[in-house]
Amino acid sequence: MRRDLGRHIYGYLVSAAFALFLFSPILWTLSTSLKQPTEMFQWPPVIVGEPSAQHYTAIIADKDFSSALINSIVVSCSTIILTMALSISAAFGISHLQKTAMRRLLTLVLALRAAPAMIYIIPYFLFFRQVHLVDTKIALIIVNTMFAVPLAIWYLSAFFDQVPREIEEAAMIDGASTLQTMTLISIPIAKYGILATAILIFIGSWNEFLFALTLTRDDAKTAAVAILNFMPFEGTDWGKAAAACVLMLVPIVVFVPFIKKYVAGPTTTGSVKG
Amino acid sequence: MASSRPKVYSALVTPAIAFLCLATVVPIAAVIALSFGDFNIAFPEKTRFIRLYNYARFLSDGRFINAALLTFILVVVPVVLQLLCGLALAIALKENLVGTRWMRASFLLPSIIPPAVGGIVWKLFLIPGVGGLSYLASLFGHNFEADLLGSKTSALISVIIVSIWFGVPIVALLLLSSLDSIPDEIYEAANLDGASWAQAQWHISIPLVLPAMGAVAVFQALEILGIFPVIFVLTGGGPAGATEPLNFYAFLTAFTYLDLDYSAAILVAFTTTIVGVCFWSIRQISATRVGR
Repeated sequence: MRRDLGRHIYGYLVSAAFALFLFSPILWTLSTSLKQPTEMFQWPPVIVGEPSAQHYTAIIADKDFSSALINSIVVSCSTIILTMALSISAAFGISHLQKTAMRRLLTLVLALRAAPAMIYIIPYFLFFRQVHLVDTKIALIIVNTMFAVPLAIWYLSAFFDQVPREIEEAAMIDGASTLQTMTLISIPIAKYGILATAILIFIGSWNEFLFALTLTRDDAKTAAVAILNFMPFEGTDWGKAAAACVLMLVPIVVFVPFIKKYVAGPTTTGSVKG
Repeated sequence: MASSRPKVYSALVTPAIAFLCLATVVPIAAVIALSFGDFNIAFPEKTRFIRLYNYARFLSDGRFINAALLTFILVVVPVVLQLLCGLALAIALKENLVGTRWMRASFLLPSIIPPAVGGIVWKLFLIPGVGGLSYLASLFGHNFEADLLGSKTSALISVIIVSIWFGVPIVALLLLSSLDSIPDEIYEAANLDGASWAQAQWHISIPLVLPAMGAVAVFQALEILGIFPVIFVLTGGGPAGATEPLNFYAFLTAFTYLDLDYSAAILVAFTTTIVGVCFWSIRQISATRVGR
């Protein structure tokens, strides 16, 4: 009995403490986004007064922010397509190579991704400036793809490893070429893994800040950067910034249940050989 | 037929690997080259080779030394605290108590929201007097109006707490998957032998996840300076450089002061150190594992 008590006290106390720590800033933002301007400075502060959607209508009407939201969607979706075009066949290939070659390639892919993103800003900035692609979505898509491909290869090759080899071999015996086997057999079987990978790529691109900050000015600005426009310098009107944050969180919250298993990294899916 | 297949597989792999090498190796080579040069973005044709001059500037640059020290603090302190908090949370969530299961599904949120949004969320939370923290304090009967981002020490502590906030969910998830893989029979055996729940955690859970923690620490150390957007939004590196790690200083040097060659030198030094230490740690960890 004493044993069970310790387990319950610890479990509830620690969970409650972390729930407070992890969620209260986000809930506070949600509350701020729904407040009337007069409620912002009430003392003691209120959590929910009379909810008002005025900040949301204001930021949707804001041309700069709504076009930035569209840019974010276009850049993220294009990044998914380009990354998948490069990674699916590569991951399929890697998953069918011999073990040593496979392990070496996966290590190489990971090593290429080890350097902090910051090291790339100067060369990418100079390069895109040279080819007149600064402030275009293309530049952001290329950069985001560069960061997404290593992850995509890791995840996808783990998913292709799970496709039963007997089915692929049966298709090949029936005369299917390697490419036909990949597109007609393996990809349909691995489709949920591919979907999860696509969501992870979307989030990575949606969240990207550093390059969106340095490589865009006006036209190609994404929402992750445009959100800063709503930050008041003199601590007055935080409602719009809060509402913009909440809008930015919507796709993330929607996607969490689908990707929860995979967020922590491909090595924990337990199917990577080697 | 069968012998030609490996060639097909290699051909499938080639485009992505070629793209990756091109997109990573070439820019890094360019940064290294830039760090040995005297480069002015307005007159790129006048670029000269000046050997290690940019690196020699480190020694007389007080701001660089301050940033290097802060980088060390901002990597080591948050990673250690993330591991401790993550372990505490993972042990709590492993129990799957009624009423805490919803957290298993949602506690991950802080780790995957846009970092810039995280920065704004915390800025809102910390507004002196009318922010969420003041509200929480008022629930407990305190009148809390301090400007935490206004003084050097409290700003640094705030940044550390925010980086723990970002990292704890991922760390807890990794440790939770490691805890979940411990067979229940071990706990049942301990139970039969009269061990209390706390004793079982101390003697079974913690020793068994310890090996995983080394790898998680390295992984987090590589990720941790990704909180650049948070610092950008929350403190802007201030007050007076109190929250300015090397990557932030390098960013300002390049894009505010347009001193690209010096910024390249900072970034090369910073990247070599952090990647070098992480790779060395991975070697150490795998060496001790093999040693067992």
